[in-house]
Amino acid sequence: MKVSFIFIVFVLVAFHSSAQQKTMTSPWQFHSINSVGLLEGESGSAFQILTINGAQYGSWFGGIGLGIDYYRYRTVPLFFDFRKEFGKKLNKLFAYLDGGINFSWVTDNQKMAYVISEQFHNGFYGDLGFGYKAGIGKKDHLLLSLGYSYKYLSETYLSPVYNNFFINADNYSSGQEKISYELNRINIKMSWEF
Amino acid sequence: MKRIIWLFNTICVSGFLALIFSACMKDKVQRTYKISTPVYEVLTQFRENIKSEPAVPVGSPGKITVAGKYIYVSEPNKGIHVIDNSNPASPKNISFINLPGNEDMAITGNTLYADAYGDLVSFDISDPQHAIAKNFATNVFPDHSIYYFANAYNSGMVINPDSINVIVGWNTRDTTVDYDQGNLYPVYYANCMNCMSMAPMASSAGINKVATNGSMARFSIINNFLYAVGYSNLLTFDISKPFEPAYSSSVQVDWHVETIYPLSDKLFVGTNNGLYMYDVSASPDKPSLLGSFAHARGCDPVISDGDYAYITINDSSACLGFNNELQILNIKDLANSVLVKSYDFTHPVGLSKDGNYLFICDGRDGLKVYNAADVNNLQLLKQIKDAEVYDVIAQNGLAIVISNDGLYQYDYTDPGNIHLISRL
Repeated sequence: MKVSFIFIVFVLVAFHSSAQQKTMTSPWQFHSINSVGLLEGESGSAFQILTINGAQYGSWFGGIGLGIDYYRYRTVPLFFDFRKEFGKKLNKLFAYLDGGINFSWVTDNQKMAYVISEQFHNGFYGDLGFGYKAGIGKKDHLLLSLGYSYKYLSETYLSPVYNNFFINADNYSSGQEKISYELNRINIKMSWEF
Repeated sequence: MKRIIWLFNTICVSGFLALIFSACMKDKVQRTYKISTPVYEVLTQFRENIKSEPAVPVGSPGKITVAGKYIYVSEPNKGIHVIDNSNPASPKNISFINLPGNEDMAITGNTLYADAYGDLVSFDISDPQHAIAKNFATNVFPDHSIYYFANAYNSGMVINPDSINVIVGWNTRDTTVDYDQGNLYPVYYANCMNCMSMAPMASSAGINKVATNGSMARFSIINNFLYAVGYSNLLTFDISKPFEPAYSSSVQVDWHVETIYPLSDKLFVGTNNGLYMYDVSASPDKPSLLGSFAHARGCDPVISDGDYAYITINDSSACLGFNNELQILNIKDLANSVLVKSYDFTHPVGLSKDGNYLFICDGRDGLKVYNAADVNNLQLLKQIKDAEVYDVIAQNGLAIVISNDGLYQYDYTDPGNIHLISRL
């Protein structure tokens, strides 16, 4: 996690330096929004880091985001981000909507023991919420948002099957199973936008 | 200063809201699997239906026995195919003995012994096409007594057959339930056709009238005694009266007993953890332990040629093993058997030996034939990858092989030209 975070910060600083050198001659403006989030849900608390890069036209913004989500299972969301700002002051409210794919990147200690095979499958990732955007410099902003986040993933696995010498055979399961995870979370994100 | 206050207030409000709303957030985790529910039949009716029926195609064969010109192939939990092999180039599937719950068998003379769940059934096979169930020894294999479950370890109890329901089939359906998140390490119990219960056994030398079983067998016959391995024991039945097998004894072996192989007056019993050798010359009704050899955990059929024992160990999930190898033991002194050499394989299962030729079923890698004149230096003569093979009986220049998709026969009279002669 530490390495991932350092890498993302490095990339953002590079983006930031590049963006600052450009002259604003077009109504389209490149923006990078980089967030650290806290996810809260039934499965507990977890961190999330995201980077969203895209273009702003007036009060509208659209971009592509990538991140790492540690809620229940480590996953990598890749998504489109759309947001709308309200107001023309330096500080203003905004609302956002994210949707995309959630790639599983499960750690070894999150996997089951004593199964013959286990495979995780990707699923939908979504996030929607609102926040407050405060200017903290000429072109930099600090964002604080509250939202609802959803991620879906599933796993299939094959478990050893033992004979039922000592149990009644009224019902038995095959060793091949699937578990689907629909994970609902509240998230608080603090972001730096430039 | 104002911004710091604003930031502090906003974080506090957001955190408060997050805590409030997070209590409403519920994860939906569901487990989907196939669940099978048994179809029952009253035991009396079940026994009436145990008889020869018209032949059906060989589907997923299990154990194999060769009796003269006939081959008997079990279809695990369903019954036994009878194949007329008068002409190995053109075997004929002539009938099917309907025998639910069957896994193993052994034949001597005109009598076929087979398990049906916990019962031992004696068939008259004077006419192999029309086998007749002559006797049912009730609940003699308590390890496999699904329908005697409540009485499984009270085999002396008198049981009314009309009070017993027998599983004759399964209704399977998909099921989805909320997942118990505490169950991180699920273990499933099922009716595992090939890992437990009674299966047929291999026999080779000895009594002429005794049929030859494959190495995966769990039944074996020496003279007037039928030997069968249970989950942890070796059972003996007196079959001096062919259609009235009488229980003689049960000898505790080890947990997870898998196969039994007869050689002269010796029995070689393979378990997950090792090989156990018994003598039946002094007291055939109660085998006595001569020696044992421990090996790495794994499924392990065993055969012997008298001087050496050949053990294949594989990593089948049922045995929770990790090794895939052939171990050759020097057993000239049965009380002190010594490992001679190990050879790596892909997934070795059944095996057979005829003279210097060693046949090993190596799962998806097919049948491998070796010159085993020097056990320290096995020479691969041929690898045949026609199918995923399970067990083999090699005798008189004919290798009869059971695979996941049927019965194959190979001619090895010329070791330089081992070739397929038929498939059923």
